[in-house]
Amino acid sequence: MSTEAMTYESAVERLEQIIARLDSNQAGLRETLELCGEGKSLIEFAAGELEAVGQGLEELRLDELIKRLEADTPPAG
Amino acid sequence: MPPYPREVSQQLHSEARETAAVPGYPGPYAVGRYANRLREWMRERARVCLIGEVTGVRIGAGPNVYFELRDADGAMPCAMWRTDFDRLGLHADELRDGVEVVAAGGPDFYPGSASASPRFAFRVQELRLAGEGDLLARLARLRRQLATEGLFEPQKELRRPLLPRRIGVVTAEGSAARRDFLAGLERRSWRGTLVWGYAPVQDRRAAPAIAAAIRDLAAYARVDAIVVTRGGGSIADLWAFCDETLCRTVALTPVPVISAVGHDVDRTLIDDVAALCCSTPTHAAEAAVGIDCEAAERALRSAAVDVHAAGRRAVVTRARELAGRSRAPREHLARHRSRLHQLARELRAAAGRGRATRVDYQRRIAAAVMGRKAEAARVDAARQAAGLTARAAALDRAARGVSERRAAWLARSGAALRGHDPERTLERGYALALDGAGEPLTEPGAVRRAGRFDLRLAGGTVPARVRNSVDPDQADQGRRVEGIQGMPRPEEADMRRYGAALKEEV
Repeated sequence: MSTEAMTYESAVERLEQIIARLDSNQAGLRETLELCGEGKSLIEFAAGELEAVGQGLEELRLDELIKRLEADTPPAG
Repeated sequence: MPPYPREVSQQLHSEARETAAVPGYPGPYAVGRYANRLREWMRERARVCLIGEVTGVRIGAGPNVYFELRDADGAMPCAMWRTDFDRLGLHADELRDGVEVVAAGGPDFYPGSASASPRFAFRVQELRLAGEGDLLARLARLRRQLATEGLFEPQKELRRPLLPRRIGVVTAEGSAARRDFLAGLERRSWRGTLVWGYAPVQDRRAAPAIAAAIRDLAAYARVDAIVVTRGGGSIADLWAFCDETLCRTVALTPVPVISAVGHDVDRTLIDDVAALCCSTPTHAAEAAVGIDCEAAERALRSAAVDVHAAGRRAVVTRARELAGRSRAPREHLARHRSRLHQLARELRAAAGRGRATRVDYQRRIAAAVMGRKAEAARVDAARQAAGLTARAAALDRAARGVSERRAAWLARSGAALRGHDPERTLERGYALALDGAGEPLTEPGAVRRAGRFDLRLAGGTVPARVRNSVDPDQADQGRRVEGIQGMPRPEEADMRRYGAALKEEV
């Protein structure tokens, strides 16, 4: 799964699959190590997503946002 | 199309003044009479009930109460006699902008005058606030229509992120719904970015403003979800959220819209077209953020521990298994190594014993051999000594033989020599003439030339001198006197040298 297409829920879902597979004790050593590596990547991604919504609430006004966008947009022609 | 209804034109046709008309158009008619006939015509129209939202209410001191009825498709100016309005028993604040009313009446026209402007209005004879039945009937019709068009499905097919980063919210600024929504987000421990699209939520301006906010949030704000919310109210209060245009906008928005309008008992049309319908703003916040962020962080830390533990467990378990499997060969090797060391020790001990035995044996062999060799050497030495003794004896005998033979030879030679010895000659009376140097003078000439000479006799030497000349024969006789005077006896010297040499050789 590429990072661009990854979402928090897809990362968590895959992580749960990995943990279930690891808990089953049916994975070989190589598969276990690969799953651990993938799991760590998923955890880092999910932690990054959680961190992005945990730093502090930011409140914007739509009308001001639109004005700012319009001010930043160069006039046509 | 003629500028006025056909009936009015026909009524006025007969009254047309004989003045120049526009070709193709009857008349011209007097405008006042036309306006009055138009009013009459309108008042003859059927009386009907209209339902719509009230706006622009003007209740003044005049004989009429004015307001407009509006909905998404159009509007109608309304006028009601004050006496009729007062008869209704409505409080002045009950007829206010934004309320839905049902108005009964028909079209009317005030023809105006020379100083007053004409005015068209729907003359309201009866008025009541729209009841749930009226609105619900309209709502049912709209719901069927939108459902038939399949507008309830698009929003529900959109993916709603479990953890949105940006959320757009459409609500009234400063409303209780705003506070409740923030409280819901706090319960989720969500602290991302909120984009507030403030809009009125209860009057005829609400639906267009809400629709515009939704469009702008989807287009510009890059939000992951949009929440449209307001607090509870009657169906009339919530009627803006049943607006057909608004609902079509929501249905076609590419961002999931969560509606939270009113309470559980209120179901507006936007609830049907939205991706998710929630009962309260708090519920909407919890639906927009699908997880408790703090709990998710804890779960993530736990998952990280689980993954790490699983990896470690996998390695450690297999390492132990490998260690267990490697123990047998290791112990086997240890046993063999121990056995090998034991054998090596035994080998060294045996080698030591064998070496000592061999040394002793060789020592004994060497002693025996050396004994025999020493004995043989002694025997050989004795034999050689004996041989040497014999040879020495032989040499002694040979030496003695040689000495004896040499002595005998010397004796014979001596005897022979003595036979020729001049001394013997001198002893028989002969003399030997010698010059001053001792050299013999062998002829008379030499004696005469010498003049003085020595005359050696057997008993000694006598000086002599020539007195006269003598004949040569006398000279020859004198020469015989000299000869072997003074010679050593060779036999004795030779014997001494020979004897010394023989001793050295032995």
